Amino acid sequence: MSISGNQKAIMMKEKLNADFARKGVLTGLFSGCTWGLNSVLLGLALGLIPLMGDDAGKYALFAIPLAAACMNDSFAGLWLLLYNGGAGRFKEIIRSLKTFPGLMVCVAALLGGPIANGGYLLGISMAGPAYALTITALYPIVGALLSRIFLKQHIVPRVWVGMLLSVIGAIVISYVPPEGGNSETFYLGLLFASLAALGWGAEAVLAVFGMSMIDPKIAINIRELTSGLFLAIFVLPIVGGWVIVSQVFTLPGTLGAFAIAALAAAVSYLAWYKANTTIGVAKGMALNGTYVMWGVIFSVVFLNSPLTQNLVIGSGLVLIGATLVAINPKEFFKKGEVA
Amino acid sequence: MADTLPLRFRVLHYISTVDKASADQIMQALKPEYGTEKQFTKKVFVDHLLDMKANFIIDDNDVTLDDKGELVIYYSINDEGKRLLGKYLPKRWTQK
Repeated sequence: MSISGNQKAIMMKEKLNADFARKGVLTGLFSGCTWGLNSVLLGLALGLIPLMGDDAGKYALFAIPLAAACMNDSFAGLWLLLYNGGAGRFKEIIRSLKTFPGLMVCVAALLGGPIANGGYLLGISMAGPAYALTITALYPIVGALLSRIFLKQHIVPRVWVGMLLSVIGAIVISYVPPEGGNSETFYLGLLFASLAALGWGAEAVLAVFGMSMIDPKIAINIRELTSGLFLAIFVLPIVGGWVIVSQVFTLPGTLGAFAIAALAAAVSYLAWYKANTTIGVAKGMALNGTYVMWGVIFSVVFLNSPLTQNLVIGSGLVLIGATLVAINPKEFFKKGEVA
Repeated sequence: MADTLPLRFRVLHYISTVDKASADQIMQALKPEYGTEKQFTKKVFVDHLLDMKANFIIDDNDVTLDDKGELVIYYSINDEGKRLLGKYLPKRWTQK
């Protein structure tokens, strides 16, 4: 195709596109930061759920985490509804749902919400956190691979290396000593953990594909509401999660804590979807993956959590990895451009 | 009249019906459909165009400066964009 227009116009266009990509990188980092904040706030909200007497053990494994996931997604969906409604985009949600790409976002929601979340929890309970968390931490790599295959997104070696360092960092941070390979459910647990990594990776790829034609602000609203509703209607009744939700609704303070955590989730997801579509799945996911490091920082600063050696080393690796993903050193030192 | 498409989808569709178009030209053409909505701003249109360009479904090979020295980018649909539209544009729109 021929390029017309004078040299100045071309330079201005290139600057516009570079600024747009740089904004995408910052948006991705912001999504990681707010996701870390969400994890910490969600942890605080969970701590406000009263113990359930003799039944505590029964609820701890699935009911409480899934009820929390359901409330997190549902409230985030409602926050986003307020945001989009206020900006006059409510009609866009209905319009989008009437198209195939809109429905694809719903499928992405089910993969990333109930399926991945469920796999994550089942993986941890069956295979133990040491193995399950290591496998689920691989999700940015799965997402990058899937985006390479299905979206034909080009990923430069620098980004691969950065992503690998970030993932190793995340594993170091969440490392817990293995408790010794136990029961026959161990391998099933590994399978569920893999399902979680696959679910989150596939979510990003499907959503990005849908967002070629759908506004990211609308896509994420559809995602949160779909996931929240599905968990509420189909999953919580099975695991006894409604007992937890109804209890939370009788405690205004606890309910408020979940609502505030969900606000951080809404902001974070909004930023993640926008970053994924602007700078590609690989970079978007890797930058979002810095949430592990942000979570550590927030816990140390606000909750006085002890700073262990693992946390320092892991966070350092995540930081170096994310920087490599985001910035091409050659370009950076030349002019501060983002590759 | 077919259902109104989501704005980003409609922008892609509009670009497929012309040789090339700038953000202002697209807004002019879509004013009857979306003009009364709060999202009908240049900023929103430019963002949709930059995102679709970043997703390699439209090209921005034609640029110029207007009388005031401001950049005008003309976007055109490419093969990947055409493929997506061919596959996912609702039937009632393809028949228009």
